[in-house]
Amino acid sequence: MKYKAKPLPPVELPDLRVVGKPLRRVDALGKAVGSTVYAGDFSMPNMLHGKVFRSSQPSARIKRLDVSKARELPGVICVLTAKDLPDAKLVTDMPGQTGQKRRAGTDAPVLASEVIRYRGEPIALVAAETLDIAEQALERIEIEYDTLPGVYDPLEAMKPGAPVVYEPDNIVATWKIRKGDVQAGMAMADMIIENTFSVPFVDHAYLEPEAGMAWMDDQNVIHIRVCTQVVEHFRSIARALGVPQNKIHIQGTFLGGGFGGKEDITVEIFLALLAKYTHRPVRLAYSREESIMAHSKRHPFIITHHTGVKRNGRITAAEIEMISDAGAYPYLSPYVLLYATVTACGPYRVEHLKVDSTSVATNNPFTSAFRGFGAAQACVAYEQQMDEIAKALDMDPLDVRRANYLSTGDRNATGQQMKSAVWLEETATRALETLGEKTSECGPIKVGQGFASYMQSYGRITWFHDTSRAWVGLELDGTAVIRCGVPDLGGGQVNTLCQIASEVLGVPLENFIIYSTDSALTPLAGTTTATRQLYMSGSAVHQAASEIRRVLLEYAQLHFEQDIENLELADGKVYVKSDPENFLPLAELTKMCAAEGLPLSNLALFKAPFTDPIDPETGQGDIFPDFTFGAHAVEVAVDTETGEITLLKSVGCHDVGRAINPIAVEGQIQGGSTQGLGYALMEEVQVVEGVIQTPSLSEYLIPTSRDLPTTKAIILESGTGLGPFGAKGIGEPSLTPAAPAVANALTNALGVRIKDLPLTPEKVLAAIEEAKNA
Amino acid sequence: MPEFDLLMPQTLPEALEMLGDRAPDLTPLAGGTNVIVYMREDRHRYKMLMDLTRLNELHGVRREDGHLVLGSATTIAELLTDPLIAEHGALLRQAAAVFASPLVRNRATVGGNLVDASPAADTAPPLLVMNAEVELASQKGVRRVPMDEFMVGVNETLRQPEELLVSIRWPLPATRSAGGFSKIGLRKGAVCSVVSAAVMVEKDEDGLCQSARIALGAVATRPIRAYAAEEILVGQPLKPQIIDLAGQLSAETVKPIDDIRGSADYRRRMVEVLVRRLLSRAAQEIVPRE
Amino acid sequence: MQPKMITLTVNGRKHQVALNPDETLLNALRQLNYTDVKNGCEKGDCGACAVLLNGKAVNSCLVLAWQADGSEILTNAGLGTMDNPHPIQEAFADAGAAQCGYCTPGMIISAKALLDQNPHPSEEEIREAISGNLCRCTGYAQIITAIQIAAERIAASALVGSGQGGKQ
Repeated sequence: MKYKAKPLPPVELPDLRVVGKPLRRVDALGKAVGSTVYAGDFSMPNMLHGKVFRSSQPSARIKRLDVSKARELPGVICVLTAKDLPDAKLVTDMPGQTGQKRRAGTDAPVLASEVIRYRGEPIALVAAETLDIAEQALERIEIEYDTLPGVYDPLEAMKPGAPVVYEPDNIVATWKIRKGDVQAGMAMADMIIENTFSVPFVDHAYLEPEAGMAWMDDQNVIHIRVCTQVVEHFRSIARALGVPQNKIHIQGTFLGGGFGGKEDITVEIFLALLAKYTHRPVRLAYSREESIMAHSKRHPFIITHHTGVKRNGRITAAEIEMISDAGAYPYLSPYVLLYATVTACGPYRVEHLKVDSTSVATNNPFTSAFRGFGAAQACVAYEQQMDEIAKALDMDPLDVRRANYLSTGDRNATGQQMKSAVWLEETATRALETLGEKTSECGPIKVGQGFASYMQSYGRITWFHDTSRAWVGLELDGTAVIRCGVPDLGGGQVNTLCQIASEVLGVPLENFIIYSTDSALTPLAGTTTATRQLYMSGSAVHQAASEIRRVLLEYAQLHFEQDIENLELADGKVYVKSDPENFLPLAELTKMCAAEGLPLSNLALFKAPFTDPIDPETGQGDIFPDFTFGAHAVEVAVDTETGEITLLKSVGCHDVGRAINPIAVEGQIQGGSTQGLGYALMEEVQVVEGVIQTPSLSEYLIPTSRDLPTTKAIILESGTGLGPFGAKGIGEPSLTPAAPAVANALTNALGVRIKDLPLTPEKVLAAIEEAKNA
Repeated sequence: MPEFDLLMPQTLPEALEMLGDRAPDLTPLAGGTNVIVYMREDRHRYKMLMDLTRLNELHGVRREDGHLVLGSATTIAELLTDPLIAEHGALLRQAAAVFASPLVRNRATVGGNLVDASPAADTAPPLLVMNAEVELASQKGVRRVPMDEFMVGVNETLRQPEELLVSIRWPLPATRSAGGFSKIGLRKGAVCSVVSAAVMVEKDEDGLCQSARIALGAVATRPIRAYAAEEILVGQPLKPQIIDLAGQLSAETVKPIDDIRGSADYRRRMVEVLVRRLLSRAAQEIVPRE
Repeated sequence: MQPKMITLTVNGRKHQVALNPDETLLNALRQLNYTDVKNGCEKGDCGACAVLLNGKAVNSCLVLAWQADGSEILTNAGLGTMDNPHPIQEAFADAGAAQCGYCTPGMIISAKALLDQNPHPSEEEIREAISGNLCRCTGYAQIITAIQIAAERIAASALVGSGQGGKQ
């Protein structure tokens, strides 16, 4: 065997009863029997149906917009245009958060008033008695455009004289890292390796298109039932509607997937507007085509690496340029770019580093959050570059990485010290060992193996001063309630909170009920984004449950006449550790505590570390609470006559700190890697002159059950994460290394590299041809 | 979805009468896996549709005069389980196994796939190489059209508006014959063909190629036969050199286009690869005489 | 375009409804509050709307409601309930096969259609049977495991039921 797993450092994990166990998720059975209610499943008496009228042009000025014929149609209750909502914007920039002030005022308008910047931009809203009437109303809206010159390529958009998407120029954001002396570092190198890599637009393709329903109550509060990753958008909606923040109430639902695509505002703003103007309940659900047209995409990037290396594989310096296509409006592009910038050189020690990154506006579909959030695109580039370095030096790809891997205590690209376990070699060697011997080749079929290591932050940017809140309470029969605003995207967010509280309180998991994702009735937990909920809300729940535990044990101490250390809460009772027969059911204990007036509920606030923004000139400073590390390895078979790639083996190995629920962690690794493998092999939103050529799931292909083998998930637990019980985050990290692993395996099979994802049969064949002719 | 009327005949004569009265405004609808999609995409607006799923006359597979006769409303899924198809329509079965997804196969019909006349229709190449004919019925009677003439262009066939495709028939394959179907798509499950091909070869008693048929999908405005390539095989031993040549000639026959799934050049080159592979495999499958 | 009275027997319950010809079975079922039948693409690409139509798994978005007149329809919710789940549903819950859960009802319908025909499918047969049901969360691995578990449990309970195993 070529690769042997590196022995793990000794880890002592506390023995736990509930945490770490592969329990059935609290939400699992409801979903399996089909009784879980999603945002599109609601209806109300007297309900109207909403529709959005969108631009057919990617770059134009509205010459004439006439909605009168739509308004006249019987059954149409309301047609809204930008005239009805002056200055209503989708504000994504919270005060003090971006460090990218130059782009103030470029937030997307709720409805376009004058200039159209992308195809599909919303122009008017309709509410009607039936869906058919609403659709007919759209056909009666008259619009004339003056076509404006558009710009559809970020490199073109950066040139002087290019059409400007909005003033003063097309630069949406820039970031810089200046560390050490790159010139001196390059001078020390034996070789300089230069490559440019690119990645395409990608759609989230969650199975549930955006949907929701809204209505107004007798206090003029607008209630919105919607699938969103961010119930805190109620504030932006209030601002856009010009109503007080306490008059917008978002009641989130279980999401049919999000992956970042339901992080920005989608249907909820339109629902709120239509409910406000009609005073009637309104339902709005996107078709798949409208979903693909209307929501963000993953940023395409062009990334150039110049890496100086010694013959022994050590990197002496790196100079990296990154350009991302922000599309028509900034949305979260500055932050996505920052994530890419911070991880531009990967989980490697690079003393002399220069990174320049730019996000550029175009008239393409707008881009924003997508699982991996820039760090995934960065990984596609840096891990291919590491293999190219290995090839240039005639070294083993693992050995090159070994010579450069960060270790605990080292500082990363921005000078932030790595405080938790940095198990890069541990995860890479395990993934490779498990991959095993290469499958033998046959005729035109070539086989290759490849892997990728990564670092991916969990928790939000620390100068965002992130917080989460959770409320935990015990009922008098010993059951428990959690209230926490966390939206559950399907990753098991609510179950995890229950499992944590169950561990702390000794209340069996099945005795928990959780109320979640409600902007008014559950304590605000922040966004389900940035792989932050286990860390943030998990910690808040842990804090609240621990406080109740303290109350229970202090009372039990008197009851049992025992020291707290001798008492345990588990399996629905409190008992003496040395004498488990001496116990009291929790139902009894809670009644006694209640009779004494003791608090059996607690609202906790958890704060992530707060830092100041990084130095804009050098990019130096702490940016994230912590990072997850791991690796993915794959084996591919390539048909050299057709260019078709078949994935034979796939292994993901990650240090998750502590697996709260191993089934859920495995699910994240399986699901995340599948998205990453799809990114490598087939996924691309093709855009020509601002027009999406892959408008539905017939053209936009994601992996089916026949496309990929089961990923072998190897879960390591260093216990060093910042989350509850030492957990790190795994939601985004599971995706990040999969795509570059495939690219590296393909190169291993063929000896040539395709630097542009996805690796379609046609590109593979062209690369083989080129190598033959060279 | 735009409005339309839907007629629901219960018998074939009733259906033919409806067609006779209302063509060309009346469009037959079977499994709906194309028609409903076209309406959703607003690619076509139909005034009137006529449901065929209740016409028992259009179902079933039978042997008749040395032919296999397949009701046009036979679903793709039924091709996978029917014993007569397994015995006398192996190529069609191979195509059915990679046709869209199992959910679609339970609705999509062979007749629908042919009348839709997509250049990428997966049932067409096998039927072309099996020398199939389609039977078109109207109130005036029934006529047979060879498969190679039936499809004339993208979504265009020789079916007259008042006619209904009622069955597909092909001669039972000869004993010393073999063939295969293969397609390339952009993923492995539930996918549209970027290129598809079918071959059928027959050897004579001396092991020479007695007849050869090659059909290609998604490389022209309709699924086509590669006659030039077929001709050079006849009378020859099926050896690598001649098989390579047949692959090359097939590639020269086609007129593919660039689209989001692939370039014309890639398609042309894949024709060569698929034809060569299918012919080699078929040549090996025919057991030489003792 | 005139509405027509049609009869749909859904999960054993007979409905008579007046529907226009352009109504798909998907929309008809959702209007009858069978909201476990999910709308994911309305083009037969995703399988979220799959139901058993007279025992065959189909995309309900590609069936016109009139075409289903007089048919027996089974949706996932008709297989079992929270109190009495079907073994496939139970296995999906146990194996972590439902993450966001949106593809789950259609996925279970395809699994049911498979196990009805083939009680002991191989992994390859399972992969093929669910290849028209897209899932964006799980990567399919735990879904395949769930179907394998369900097959074993159904076989075991059949043994018990037929008196060939378990206690008499």
